[in-house]
Amino acid sequence: MNPETDSQTVSQLTYHIRTLLEDGIGNVFVTGELSNYKQHSSGHRYFTLKDSDAQISCVMWRSRTLGFQPEDGMKVLITGKLTVYPQHGKYQIDCTSLRPHGVGDLHAAFEALKKKLSALGWFDTDRKRSLPDFPRSVGIATSATGAALHDMISTIGRRFPAVQVVFRPTVVQGNNASADIVQAIKDLERQQVDVIIIGRGGGSLEDLWCFNEENVARAVFESSIPIISAVGHETDFTISDFVADYRAATPTAAAEAVTPYTVREIASVLRGYQDSFTTSITLSVEALQDTVEMFLDGRALRRIIERLNNRVQRVDELEEKIGAGLRKQIQKRLNILESFSQTSLLHIRHSIQRTASKVEHLTALLQSHHPLTPLRKGFAIISSNGVVYGAKTNLVPGTEVTIMRQHETADATIHTVNKTETISE
Amino acid sequence: MAKTKETTSIEAQLKRLEEIANSLDRGELTIDEQLKIYEEGMQLANASREYLLSAELKIKELGGVSEDESVED
Repeated sequence: MNPETDSQTVSQLTYHIRTLLEDGIGNVFVTGELSNYKQHSSGHRYFTLKDSDAQISCVMWRSRTLGFQPEDGMKVLITGKLTVYPQHGKYQIDCTSLRPHGVGDLHAAFEALKKKLSALGWFDTDRKRSLPDFPRSVGIATSATGAALHDMISTIGRRFPAVQVVFRPTVVQGNNASADIVQAIKDLERQQVDVIIIGRGGGSLEDLWCFNEENVARAVFESSIPIISAVGHETDFTISDFVADYRAATPTAAAEAVTPYTVREIASVLRGYQDSFTTSITLSVEALQDTVEMFLDGRALRRIIERLNNRVQRVDELEEKIGAGLRKQIQKRLNILESFSQTSLLHIRHSIQRTASKVEHLTALLQSHHPLTPLRKGFAIISSNGVVYGAKTNLVPGTEVTIMRQHETADATIHTVNKTETISE
Repeated sequence: MAKTKETTSIEAQLKRLEEIANSLDRGELTIDEQLKIYEEGMQLANASREYLLSAELKIKELGGVSEDESVED
């Protein structure tokens, strides 16, 4: 053969190949799984027929009638003719008919694995861990290029940016996906994040398939860190959703689940604490002021004992109420804050400002009315362990007491106690 | 690993504020002690609030694949 004279054009060779395929193979019946099904605006339909090891391109012209709505993942039987598409230099089947062919293999595999792992107890709710209220770091395993990553990062950034996101770019589609997801979970475990999100955006059953594989389910099951599975849309369920500690309907919902409180909510709670501190301190100063006034007008000791008794009772009451956990307190404060309208918040803020300036005033006043003023007149105060003896409290022999005078205190032990007539004022 | 000090203590800070609120509610402390924890509580709440409202998301990227395997269309 002479390369100069016997060479042929690309078109000539392609036509030769086409003749070989069409004459040599021609009409075929093929079963396989439908994927990448698209109906073009022209009305023609393009799709791929595949099984676990091979795939073949197919076209079905608008003129061919179709008796059902094809969906990716369906197992189908096609009739057609093998041909060549010269412009792309590829072979394809020109389909004359397309019909469903039983339940797809993937669906059957999904149901089988679901049944197996359910029997092993991997889906049990009592082994699911709760998510942290304030995670310091959140691990994310998803595609670097999908919308899921963007959705999660922007949601976390908007709700609670005081956190570190550790992102592990991960293959979440295709043959290598499940092994990479398993490795990503291990990598994030080593980073000691507080919670891990694995996920991706929506897609066909085969797009999401890696989340239905047993090695991924096992990695989720064995993770030492709580895992959120956020695969696809509301209606997509995968095996990893069932095994995970928490199933989020979408990647955005997962980001919300790891940030249960927003910074604005916590800031409101902090503001609520400050308001309550100011109220408490104001009440204390006012109470002290009352006591000082009573000292000065002579009713002091009798009333102090009364007040002490009341206070003990109040403390007992408070102790019963206290004890509920931090979460309950936060929720309560959030609820209270939410129930206030803007107007009443403003009103409260004004009233707190007024009380705050009163505190300042009272503190100054207190310094000029010292509670120990009677000592200047030579009276002494007897106390035991810091508790002042009032008029109605009897001394008991053997008690160690402190006697306080203006310029000195003395420790003493009560020797004997003699009853006397009440001295009238 | 890098744990941020401020975020580590948000839970602890809230717990401390709750303790202060309870102490002040009980009124068992002397006025000096009350003023002292009042001051502590106000400062802690201010610092926490300032930190939270000015925090910016930190993102750390681990090695791995940078793109999904391309899927034929």
